Amino acid sequence: MSEIRESGEAFRRNWERNASHLEASGLYDPAEEHDACGVGLVAAIDGKPRRAVVEAAIQALKSIWHRGAVDADGKTGDGAGIHLEIPSAFFHAHVARSGVNEARDTPLGVGMVFLPRTDLDGQERCRAIVETEILGFGYAVHGWRQVPVNIDVIGEKANATRPEIEQIIVANPRAVAPEQFERDLYVLRRRIEKRVIADQIAGFYICSLSSRSIIYKGMFLAEQVTSFYPDLLDPRFVSSFAIYHQRYSTNTFPTWPLAQPFRILAHNGEINTLRGNLNWMKSHETRMAHPAFAGHLEDLKPVVQAGGSDSAALDSVFEVLARAGRPLPMVKALMVPEVWSERETMPKRLRDLYSYCNSVMEPWDGPAALAMTDGNWVLAGLDRNGLRPMRYSITADGLLIVGSETGMVKLNESQIVEKGRLGPGEMLGVNLAEGRLYHHGELTELIAGSEPFGEWVENITRLDELPIDPVPDAPEFEREALRRHQVAMGWNHEDLELILQPMAEDAKEAIGSMGDDTPLAVLSDQYRGLHHFFRQNFSQVTNPPIDSLRERRVMTLITRFGNLNNILDEDASQCQTLQLPSPILSNGEFAAICGHLHDMTVELDCSFDLAEGSLRDAIQRIQREAADAVREGRTHVVLSDRGVGPDRASAPMILAAGAVHSHLVRQQLRTFTSLSVRTAECLDVHYAAVLIGVGATCVNPYLAEAAILDRHRRGLLPGLAAAEAVANYRKAMNDGLLKIMAKMGIAVVSSYRGAYNFEAVGLSRSLVAEFFPGMTSKISGIGLQGIELRIREAHERAFAEDVIALPIGGFYRYRRGGEKHAFEAGLVHLLQEAVGRDSYATFKRYSEAVRKQPPLNLRDLLDFTDKQPAVSVDEVESITELRKRLVAPGISLGALGPEAHETLSIAMNRIGAKSDSGEGGEDPARSRPRKNGDNAASAIKQVASGRFGVTAEYLNNCRELEIKVAQGAKPGEGGQLPGFKVDALIARLRHATPGVSLVSPPPHHDIYSIEDLAQLIYDLKQINPEARVCVKLVARSGIGTVAAGVAKARADVILISGHSGGTGASPQSSIKYAGIPWEMGLAEVHQVLVLNRLRHRVKLRTDGGIKTGRDVVIAAILGAEEFGLGTASLVAMGCILVRQCHSNTCPVGICTQDQALRSKFEGTPEKVVNLFSFVAEEVREILAALGARTLNEIIGRTDLLAQVNRGWAHLDDLDLNPILAQADPGEYPRYCTLVGRNEVPDALDGRMIKDAAALFELGEKMQLTYNIRNTDRAIGTRLSSMITRKFGGEGLQPGHVTVRLRGSAGQSLGAFAVQGLKLEVFGDANDYVGKGLSGGTIVVRSMTASPLASHRNTIIGNTVLYGATAGRLFAAGQAGERFAVRNSGAEVVVEGCGSNGCEYMTGGTAVILGPIGENFGAGMTGGMAFIYDPERRFPARANPESITWQRLATAHWEGVLRALVETHAEETQSHFALELLNDWARESSHFWHVVPKEMLGRLAHPLSVAAAE
Amino acid sequence: MGQKLLKFVSLEQEMPDKRSPEDRRHDFAEIYARFDPTAARAQASRCSQCGIPFCQVHCPLHNNIPDWLMLTAEGRLEEAYELAAATNNFPEICGRICPQDRLCEGNCVIEKGFSAVTIGSVEKYITDTAWDRGWVKPPTPPRERAQSVAIIGAGPGGLAAAEELRRKGYQIHVYDRYDRVGGLLVYGIPNFKLDKRVVARRHALLEAGGVIFHPSFEIGRDASLAEIRRGHDAVLIATGVYRPRLLQAPGIGLGNIVQALEYLTASNRRGLGDQVPAGLLDAAGKHVVVIGGGDTAMDCVRTAMRQGALSVKCLYRRDRKNMPGSQREVFHAEEEGVEFVWLAAPQGFAGTDIVETVHAHRIHLGTGDGSGRQAPQVVENSQFTLAADLVVLALGFDPEDVPGLFGEPELGLSRWGTIEADLDRLETNLDGVFAAGDIVRGASLVVWAVRDGRVAARSIARYLAARAQPAAA
Repeated sequence: MSEIRESGEAFRRNWERNASHLEASGLYDPAEEHDACGVGLVAAIDGKPRRAVVEAAIQALKSIWHRGAVDADGKTGDGAGIHLEIPSAFFHAHVARSGVNEARDTPLGVGMVFLPRTDLDGQERCRAIVETEILGFGYAVHGWRQVPVNIDVIGEKANATRPEIEQIIVANPRAVAPEQFERDLYVLRRRIEKRVIADQIAGFYICSLSSRSIIYKGMFLAEQVTSFYPDLLDPRFVSSFAIYHQRYSTNTFPTWPLAQPFRILAHNGEINTLRGNLNWMKSHETRMAHPAFAGHLEDLKPVVQAGGSDSAALDSVFEVLARAGRPLPMVKALMVPEVWSERETMPKRLRDLYSYCNSVMEPWDGPAALAMTDGNWVLAGLDRNGLRPMRYSITADGLLIVGSETGMVKLNESQIVEKGRLGPGEMLGVNLAEGRLYHHGELTELIAGSEPFGEWVENITRLDELPIDPVPDAPEFEREALRRHQVAMGWNHEDLELILQPMAEDAKEAIGSMGDDTPLAVLSDQYRGLHHFFRQNFSQVTNPPIDSLRERRVMTLITRFGNLNNILDEDASQCQTLQLPSPILSNGEFAAICGHLHDMTVELDCSFDLAEGSLRDAIQRIQREAADAVREGRTHVVLSDRGVGPDRASAPMILAAGAVHSHLVRQQLRTFTSLSVRTAECLDVHYAAVLIGVGATCVNPYLAEAAILDRHRRGLLPGLAAAEAVANYRKAMNDGLLKIMAKMGIAVVSSYRGAYNFEAVGLSRSLVAEFFPGMTSKISGIGLQGIELRIREAHERAFAEDVIALPIGGFYRYRRGGEKHAFEAGLVHLLQEAVGRDSYATFKRYSEAVRKQPPLNLRDLLDFTDKQPAVSVDEVESITELRKRLVAPGISLGALGPEAHETLSIAMNRIGAKSDSGEGGEDPARSRPRKNGDNAASAIKQVASGRFGVTAEYLNNCRELEIKVAQGAKPGEGGQLPGFKVDALIARLRHATPGVSLVSPPPHHDIYSIEDLAQLIYDLKQINPEARVCVKLVARSGIGTVAAGVAKARADVILISGHSGGTGASPQSSIKYAGIPWEMGLAEVHQVLVLNRLRHRVKLRTDGGIKTGRDVVIAAILGAEEFGLGTASLVAMGCILVRQCHSNTCPVGICTQDQALRSKFEGTPEKVVNLFSFVAEEVREILAALGARTLNEIIGRTDLLAQVNRGWAHLDDLDLNPILAQADPGEYPRYCTLVGRNEVPDALDGRMIKDAAALFELGEKMQLTYNIRNTDRAIGTRLSSMITRKFGGEGLQPGHVTVRLRGSAGQSLGAFAVQGLKLEVFGDANDYVGKGLSGGTIVVRSMTASPLASHRNTIIGNTVLYGATAGRLFAAGQAGERFAVRNSGAEVVVEGCGSNGCEYMTGGTAVILGPIGENFGAGMTGGMAFIYDPERRFPARANPESITWQRLATAHWEGVLRALVETHAEETQSHFALELLNDWARESSHFWHVVPKEMLGRLAHPLSVAAAE
Repeated sequence: MGQKLLKFVSLEQEMPDKRSPEDRRHDFAEIYARFDPTAARAQASRCSQCGIPFCQVHCPLHNNIPDWLMLTAEGRLEEAYELAAATNNFPEICGRICPQDRLCEGNCVIEKGFSAVTIGSVEKYITDTAWDRGWVKPPTPPRERAQSVAIIGAGPGGLAAAEELRRKGYQIHVYDRYDRVGGLLVYGIPNFKLDKRVVARRHALLEAGGVIFHPSFEIGRDASLAEIRRGHDAVLIATGVYRPRLLQAPGIGLGNIVQALEYLTASNRRGLGDQVPAGLLDAAGKHVVVIGGGDTAMDCVRTAMRQGALSVKCLYRRDRKNMPGSQREVFHAEEEGVEFVWLAAPQGFAGTDIVETVHAHRIHLGTGDGSGRQAPQVVENSQFTLAADLVVLALGFDPEDVPGLFGEPELGLSRWGTIEADLDRLETNLDGVFAAGDIVRGASLVVWAVRDGRVAARSIARYLAARAQPAAA
């Protein structure tokens, strides 16, 4: 831990100065800040205030410190708070003391207010505004109360930003009804806020202003809440509810107002759709109206204020809907609905309810655990995917305790009558007035019955109810016209063959491999469609992507016309909509819609006359025409580029759609119309996604359909009817769109629409500001003028006279005359010659040839300045030193053949540098040195989302552990290793069955949020007490704040991968259009880390297309200290970029498992060593020229770089200053000074290891016993590391060491526990029990005194046994969501589980003796499961794609099951299990035997007697 | 689509059927049969569809080889032809005579270990099929342009330029001093490699497209270059290089020591039915020695074999590995009975009037120089003799004195005597005069001439467009 060098005050000053500098000139955008946390509530079910409620909440806050982050000063937290009922006795006493005689039974309004502390004048003005507004509304002021605070307990930084904290007490002299009083206080607060903003006073914030409840919050550690606010210790502070929150933010600047709870809710998670939601809220505001707000509606707008967090925005909208009179459960159903559209198991009345909700407004989507109150209801709720934990207990004395973890409030187990968890989309609440608890089912029934939603939704017209013409026989375009249109739109042969054909033929997007080495669109001299300038956003760390294939049912593309009404209404008219299954429409469907909306439709021609018109005129014309049409009442605006012809070119439809959408929003007209786009330009899914992302309602790619029909007529789609081919294309587009949404964790297209989930790279800032407002465009680029020039050129080519064939392409694979590629033939030959002949002179020729290429990357526009005099090369640090900073990045065995994989490791070990195992395990034999001294073990072991082969042994055999959060070629996506690549070796290393395919999920199922990442880092630092932990991220805007969060999570290294990173197989649209250059990502990370004084605590590494020493030096200047060379090291081993890695046919034997091809491998460690030595040598020369003696000297020294090229002449600008901006580091170094690693707090294991001395010294069998709390995390993990190192992964007999634990175990109980260790918990456990279990045994059971029926209550949390490879778990109770995900070998018995059970499982056996959640067995390709299901609910909840099920049919498998149930009963004493065994003959027929389809031919024993015969 | 290709892992290379040496040594018919459609598809499907197609990179025309291989593998021959024709005016000719083993196929990624895709044969198959099915169409410009271009030389470079420019609507006049159109394609290359009908149908096609040919028209004799320039808006010189390199050796003046081109032209004329003086240029019943190691030498030895020579020997000063000619041609020649005398150089010739013996000595290759090429050194006391009734000298060609011949002393030359022109624009120092092919780059391959013809056509079109504009405005 570094000492603090800046005082709190200096920190505040420097931070604010640096932040505003970086924001103005740099990449940093404070809007990208994220936060996450722990959250919960306590309620008295009878609705009667009691002190116990407050005390329980305070206690809970003290047990979630590990979900927040602590600053280096040990005191400044990221924020915590508590929301309580107003203790009226307390405030009445205060009022009485001040001499006012107020009736005791009239409620007081109390406002908790942050005032500017140091600006006394501002303070006074604020007070004046508050008082004036209150009096103006007819209420009285009882004065201000200075809230007592103890500033000794907060950190220096928190104190430096601390506001003056006071309470304003408002009387209700007119005795207005309580509901009205409350609503008026809401309006009052909004008026006050607006006035303060108008008066430009900073530092004012109202935490709460209510007659019912009050919020105490601030930037202290959660456990300090009562020390800071001694009020809370007052026994008069009683409440019927308490909502509490602990925050973890991605910056280090203490911002008091961002602490939670907010006025209605406290939120743990992240709203992925925030930008879309905010944009649509602006549109909704146009029509917003409600009698209760009559006369005050303008005061409430904008509903969401600038500068808040996603949670604050969510709270604002919740608040307006609740204050307008909707009951809180209805607001939750409206804003954060359950999955319903694809869910056939849901009763119709509930589906009608949600169908109504979806007609009213678009959901706020993303991980969300919510604890909230409107004064009447106290409610806990979860998002549709159940991505955050929410556990609850109900006590015999009527307390409901809900929170992120179980055990936060210490309860007597014998007094608990129910223990459960919230499932995806569920709610649980107390109606305080009724004094009644409602479970989820009761709540939804209650609101579903409140209006005749079933009748209302009958107003919805569905597309399939309209008459749709069949696919026409006659071609719409003659062949030549088709070609000319294709050329005009920039299409080429490659697009048709590589991209369109697979979509029409197989309904799949094209797959490619290796990285993207073509120039950024803005640097290209070729025609590049506007979609090339849009890079897809994706989630990493702060929120998870979704698996759009296996979790398809949580997602929806349902698109509505006419659904933008008054959101505060509740009536049938809101359902008068036209509903489409997807926004992508065939020609026939589009015609049908236009027919249906005949009078309401207007089609706007987006083309312009080449001789007389201009692009800008065209854009302005269609903006005007669209606005006029909407004002005339047209509700279906169609933009079309069908006017293109010899004399007319069209505006790019992305530009047209963005221009019209943004114009209509500005004119407050968007809410009255839909916006459809008919475009020839749209060929692939990325184009469609961009159109929808910039605001289009739906898309009709008519030329793509014409091209498909043309191919069909020519017999290129044999065996398909024309309509099938078109349907295939549409399915591929739909699936691709889902994938792009899923990448960002967005499940619902209506929340994706208009959300600009892209960032522009190379689009002019002014163009973006005008047509795509709110979208990020950091370096500016091409503007209208340049775009028009390019359009005219493309048009000229298309309609010139000698067109004979389509251009060949070259964007995906090199073609002469097509797009440039960084690795072209000559460079490959030169590099291979250089490393083969050990010729540095040849390498220099290669390096010069690289330099001479036209600019491909941003760094090619930069050059070194000669600020400092050169030094002699001899003075610069040695090649040996410099080489250590180079890395061979993670490429899995599975992608590479074993020879190539080992060659890389051996080479890197020889030079003391690091290679990365990639995902997929590694043969333990490689960790033993070879006879010649070579070490073939990868120094970095990767932990990826599939957790293949991630065992305790694997994790202990390395110097560094890398958590691969995302991959440059496909950030936000998972992967699949097809069965044919899974040979015996790979199957062994990955604990799988040869020939059976293996799926990597898109997210790490134990990282849905930043505090989860902190937990995984904690776990890894336990299982390997020496290894550093690296977190691999992919560059995108906002990565700086993510990286700051990662640094606070105690990572030691952060790897920033550029978009160009390679892959063994990914969809082409992901390789091409996701992520941004590392130059931008790295610079942003470096800037934000320096800003937050975190840079010196963490190493930065970067990779993605680095090829020369010059690349390395530029990366260093932009902030990196380590550098990965992926493709270059493959080329050194003989790779010639055939780009068929996904085909297993690598002709040079590198990227294949085929033995015959592998024998062609000609790579050697020497060649690889030569490459890295040459690069280091070149770095050394450049350092000398720069006048630097060490690489550290130049890290972050962007003054050593200057932009020397501003790109093509027709760009508006191309400005690299943002990446060259510097934050003043103050006294801190700009590089990492960490020695060793950032240590984490010790776990219970520290004591266990001491107590187990006899085991390690004498090998004795032992039994240990402890009492535990939920703050004891990763119990048994470090002990397992010690056992692995001393005895080996399987060195001890099962049960050699038994640890008995009483209480609630913290997260990651028994993570990576190895054979020989047995953990017995009496109580319950939280998330991640048995994560990566590597042979250990875990037993969880209730205390003997507990009255609970085990199979009806929850005992362990979410994501249990994630990535387990071996071992056993017995839990007498239900598990949470995502039970046994990616289990590849553990045996487990539980008594029920949540949704997505056994997803991606590839081995082991799961026995589930109770109900299961939805989507069971998705992507399960190995192992088996037995489900006890007397009510036959299983079939409806299983995902049938990859599994089959049947009742038990052979004695063998019945025996396997019975033995496990017997062991379970024995270990846990489960009464339920004992009963099953007692009635086995009858009960055994209630089991389903679930087996993956791919395993059917591979089982050692037949599934049924018939099969045996 | 990928799964339909990449078959090299399971499917072996097969060339189209080749006639047996015994069969083919007696006539001048082409030695390869055409692929049957199944074989063509199968062989095309072996392509690895590389991310960097080294075949294309090393093709002077940058043919989109992987793409038309894919289309062929999928049976989409018409599209394959369109693609092949989009970058190459004479794919069926290149398919026949390109030294693929040094160009596309030699750089095919699967060549090492799996044997290359048979690119040339597929190219030939695609285009021959296109001819059969009538897909090959004369250039038909959408509109005529008044500007005219004179092309001097009806060889591959001139013809490629003629077609490209005609397509854009320019008036094209091709002048050639020979009586037939095709240049070396017709008189230099033997029939067994390139059937003359293949060339003739190209001639006919261009004529059908409106290109006007002026055969037996010699610049300098029938018109000066200045006159030609006055009559046209632009001129392309594509005359090739015809002056044989001479050998200085005792006895070089003896009878029956002939130049390769003379010899090949006579043979080709005979094949075309022309009257050719008998005896001197006929190898029938003779012991023949051919001197040289290039593709012309290979043509000579194989022609001699077919004329009925008693023996044919090829004398070359380097070894098999270092010869400039195509290995495949050497292989064919050996199959047909030619004997190669490697590492040997002629010292002199003996005989009375006509040659009887060739005196030669052995050569040792020294260590490589900077370029890696080994310098030949004469081995002391290694003389030997070979009997010979006919000696054919195939030592290469140098440019003629074009400025002299054309009566245009201002035309700029390089120090090698070729016309000076930048290879990207092919403009000479004279306004509106362009040059292409061997006369610019020195003796080279047909495929380079085609490329130059195309580059020159683009350059000329730019030139003409710039000059046409003021008139239009």
